Amino acid sequence: MGIKSLEVRLGRLSLKTPIIIASGIFSYGEVNIDYLDYKKLGAITTKTITFLPRKGNPQPRIWETPSGIINCVGLQNPGIKEFIKKGLYNVSLKGVKTIVSISGENPDEIKKMTDMLMDKGVEAIELNLSCPNVNRENRMVSQSPEDTYSIVKAVKDIAKNITIIAKLSPSVTDITEIALAAERGGADAISLINTVKAMAVDIEKKRVIEGGLSGPAIKPVGLKAVYDVYKKVKVPLIGIGGITTGEDAIEYMLIGASAIGVGSGFFSNPYLIDQIYGTFIKFLEKNNLKKIADATGLLNEKKDKGAGKRKG
Amino acid sequence: MEAKKFIIRKNLHLTDKLYLLELEGGFNKKPLPGQFIHINIEPFFLRRPFSIAGYREDSLKVLYKIAGRATDILKIKKEGEILDIIGPLGSGFPVKNSQKNVYLVGGGTGIAPLLFLSEELLKNNLHINITFFYGAKNINEIVFNILPCGVNYIFSTDDGSYGNKGMVSKVMEGYIKRGDIPDVIYAGGPYEMLKKIAEISEKWEIPAFVSMENRMACGTGICYGCVTKIKSKKGWEYKRVCKDGPVFNSKEVLWE
Repeated sequence: MGIKSLEVRLGRLSLKTPIIIASGIFSYGEVNIDYLDYKKLGAITTKTITFLPRKGNPQPRIWETPSGIINCVGLQNPGIKEFIKKGLYNVSLKGVKTIVSISGENPDEIKKMTDMLMDKGVEAIELNLSCPNVNRENRMVSQSPEDTYSIVKAVKDIAKNITIIAKLSPSVTDITEIALAAERGGADAISLINTVKAMAVDIEKKRVIEGGLSGPAIKPVGLKAVYDVYKKVKVPLIGIGGITTGEDAIEYMLIGASAIGVGSGFFSNPYLIDQIYGTFIKFLEKNNLKKIADATGLLNEKKDKGAGKRKG
Repeated sequence: MEAKKFIIRKNLHLTDKLYLLELEGGFNKKPLPGQFIHINIEPFFLRRPFSIAGYREDSLKVLYKIAGRATDILKIKKEGEILDIIGPLGSGFPVKNSQKNVYLVGGGTGIAPLLFLSEELLKNNLHINITFFYGAKNINEIVFNILPCGVNYIFSTDDGSYGNKGMVSKVMEGYIKRGDIPDVIYAGGPYEMLKKIAEISEKWEIPAFVSMENRMACGTGICYGCVTKIKSKKGWEYKRVCKDGPVFNSKEVLWE
């Protein structure tokens, strides 16, 4: 059978496995989860950091729906200064890489934050351009190709040697347009998808709960986004949305993801990371593949054949 | 925290909407009274948190109330079925050996962590005097047959169908007014009840520790879904009930 490699690359970022913990579900990695086998993780993405501290949204922040949850945590975080002071950009996680997730109220804030992270040895920054829980009345950055392009470009101009990942919302007319704009702006990878804009109605307490939907309910939405975007862009994709089994993770890889992000599925299934790892190895053995990178896009095709092999 | 399988030994209907689960299995690290477990109840996506109501090396007790569809499923689970559990989670009640006179105040299923606490207090401190103020809606919601021995129980019900009529916090304050000042108060129950306990403890300068509840997603401190307002240098901040709590010093909580 030979040795199977799960190593993948996202721009300059090299990961020992394609299994990433998605942003917002794992704090900053500083909470030790005893039953998690960290060796099987490629990276964890921090909870999103903003320029100024944010208290976050009032209760209720969590609302269960059929096959999913709506969350409206609202980016509670200590702000970038405190984040750096506490060394949260890279808590020691047994060799697991850290992707720092940032978001800003305006391009200026995001540029300042990038500047502040430049000398910290950060290998990757994910731009959260798609949180549904801040300034709900306003458009998210990733709902506009122009805004997406200019933010990504502004960050990439500063952080030339850092892998820049753009995280996009599925709540748009055509996600491929946004993905192409992120790529033009210089994104080294694209995370698809953030939570889906959603709401619930509490008839008992006569209130509405607005937020972002995650969980198995959104897996088909995430798959379709990765499938469509893969055809059009060259940069690697991180497939996220409703992964609760190893098979779910393989599905994302086959239609074009180079890595996958685990979100709220980890809450219910403490064995999820082990299961994905095991499923990847078994898939390679069964299909006579040497490395997981060879599974990427097996069931999809690039539209622009001239695009050739993707970066990384 | 550990991810473990427990076997259901008993799933007893106690009274009205209250049930007692007796599970076989254990954690490598002994849980503290006040800590909770997170149970996977299929087909629900999120786990459900439950206080630990009793623990021995090879068994764990959960007192629960039918509160929705998940507990409706839990109540029909049979002996021999397996439960997938994460625990023990959160903080426990801080206990000092010097405590001689202790008040426990429980409302409804809020008594669950106090049952475990009273067992542990009695085990570790032979000279302790425990008064357990137990409040319920009515006599049908009181679970007499699972209350530990060696504790002085003072009952109260909203409708007066058993014990004192009225709020458990008021009944407790009556004892304090008559001069029985405890070293510490430990409480579990609805938010409004805990708030009253906090006010009384402040007024009489008696330390109080309250076990809080909230909707939870992760249960382990990584998602920030279950936060509650806790006083801080700058006024207040949201802290996690699952990780920073569920037991808080009542003085730290910003009551609303």
